[in-house]
Amino acid sequence: MTRRNRIVSVIVAVALAALVLFPFLDVFSGALVRTVTVVVMAAATAQAWNLIGGYTGYPAFGNVAFFGVGGYAVAILMSKLHVDFIPAVLAGGLVAALYATLLGLPILRLKGHYFSIATLGVAEATREVVSNWTALTGGGSGITLPISPDIPPIFNRAMYFSMLAVFVGSVILTYGVTRSKLGYGLIAIREDEDAARSLGINTTRFKVTAFALSALVTGLAGGVYAYWNSQLIPEDAFSLDITLRAILISIIGGPGTLFGPALGAVAFEFMRNYLWDNFPGLQFTFLGLVMVLVIIFMPKGVMEFLTGRRRFTASALLQYVRQNRVS
Amino acid sequence: MPAPHPAPGALSLSKGVEGQPLLVARGVTKHFGGVAAVEGVDLTVAEGEMLGLIGPNGAGKTTFINLLTGMEPLTAGQVTFRGRDISHQAAYLMGRMGMARTFQVVKPFRNLSVRENVAVGAMFGAGGAKRSSRESLAKADEVLAFVGMDAKARLGADQLTIPDLKRLELAKALAMEPKLLMLDEVMAGLHTREIEAAMELIRKVHASGVTVLVIEHVMKAIVGLSQRVVVLHYGEKIAEGQPREVMQNPKVIEAYLGQQYARRHAPAS
Ligand SMILES: Nc1ncnc2c1ncn2[C@@H]1O[C@H](COP(=O)(O)OP(=O)(O)OP(=O)(O)O)[C@@H](O)[C@H]1O
Ligand SMILES: [Mg+2]
Repeated sequence: MTRRNRIVSVIVAVALAALVLFPFLDVFSGALVRTVTVVVMAAATAQAWNLIGGYTGYPAFGNVAFFGVGGYAVAILMSKLHVDFIPAVLAGGLVAALYATLLGLPILRLKGHYFSIATLGVAEATREVVSNWTALTGGGSGITLPISPDIPPIFNRAMYFSMLAVFVGSVILTYGVTRSKLGYGLIAIREDEDAARSLGINTTRFKVTAFALSALVTGLAGGVYAYWNSQLIPEDAFSLDITLRAILISIIGGPGTLFGPALGAVAFEFMRNYLWDNFPGLQFTFLGLVMVLVIIFMPKGVMEFLTGRRRFTASALLQYVRQNRVS
Repeated sequence: MPAPHPAPGALSLSKGVEGQPLLVARGVTKHFGGVAAVEGVDLTVAEGEMLGLIGPNGAGKTTFINLLTGMEPLTAGQVTFRGRDISHQAAYLMGRMGMARTFQVVKPFRNLSVRENVAVGAMFGAGGAKRSSRESLAKADEVLAFVGMDAKARLGADQLTIPDLKRLELAKALAMEPKLLMLDEVMAGLHTREIEAAMELIRKVHASGVTVLVIEHVMKAIVGLSQRVVVLHYGEKIAEGQPREVMQNPKVIEAYLGQQYARRHAPAS
């Protein structure tokens, strides 16, 4: 094991221990558990987006469709068919992955912003269908899930650990992908799809697989969210905010990196809280500004910054402008 | 030049029967809107040969390769490879069946190392099915040593100079363990000494049992390498034969002279 790998392993182990142990310490209130659940959920959806947007280079703008589909699958299975929570969540993830496979076959023929717009359109269309299929989904007034017999602190903690399991699973999944032929194939597609094809990569199958894995993780997160919320309405389950947050976190952390989404989620949460507290009303302006700075100075995110490969300097800015100027 | 001996190469390739047709193109045609980029080209590539493909700029050489490798759909015509009709087959399957090509406009995976670039070829090419990603990285080291780039294996592909990027194209194609290798101007932009080295390398690849199709504007290289030359002009095949014979063909001279004339009299831009 190299020195760097050893350091990374220690940091990961400490972070994981803290995440597992803190809910049992009385000094931390239940509110903190709920806040961290939200952050972990955002990290999981960012990790999921990273597979299709970061590694494969297909900027999906409709991942919330899978969050909503996973959530509604869980809501319907638990409330109408009385399925238990864990099997319902797993089924929700699979339904989302299946949905992505069917969508991906036509949509992944598009590239760049055409792909982005198509995914955005699909997410909106999915929300419309769910809103109008009242018999199954309860329509605009939503669907109510069975209430857990546990008292709120216990229930919240259980939901936190469920979300953490989804997130940790997504990191392990991503690690496995990056080590496999699939991962090399996805990166090759991102770097140059024609070269990838010419080298023998079945680009359609690889892209659809990445999209389905992204949907699987997003659907699992949506499923846990549904039960945690105990009430699901289309506005929440298909909120564009879910997609945007996943993308922003991925970009801040470093698209196409293993730990980027985790770092990005933490950075994003602190940034958001700071801006909310200090610049009420202007938070979105500042968030936009921060995004521009991140993209200019750290096109590969916080990860690159931490590994010391990029600095905040005027020459970095000039280099960026040179590389990206039009014609 | 002496006929290259089929030496036991470092790349351990399966071999077919020398002289049998490996690839057959019949009436291969490509129209881009009104432009006939390739028009009714017939060509047979024999197992084990080294074939030169030449023609003035815009003659349709690159487009022809794109058609053979499935990168572009055919407007008309038929292509068979190893006895199978591949006219409408997906490009990735061509690679698996034993075709490999380099790109005239290089296509490195810029955010991967040189070694990883080559490993992708080893993972998904004709020999890829039997290899894990780890074994493919080992195979990449072998190929990089073969093309003399082992010292640059750990560099990022974005750190390479043009001659090295051309060499990387070749290494990626070789890592696929092809039966037929198509080289699209791998010598463009190289100095005389680098051209000599590239020719030597291509001879070494050919000697290891790979059938080679070379596109090149450097005539010295075409004459020095090819056993047979095919000439395209405005998308059509205008000549075919021994290199020296073809160079003296009036139609070929006219095609090239026309180009030089046009160049000399081009309005200053
Ligand atoms: N994608 C395309 N769309 C439209 N026209 C094209 C396309 N690709 C090639 N062409 C045209 O087809 C003709 C043949 O081009 P091609 O690149 O195959 O020539 P070439 O022989 O490889 O030339 P060079 O020696 O300059 O590389 C040219 O007139 C070119 O402009
Ligand atoms: Mg060309």
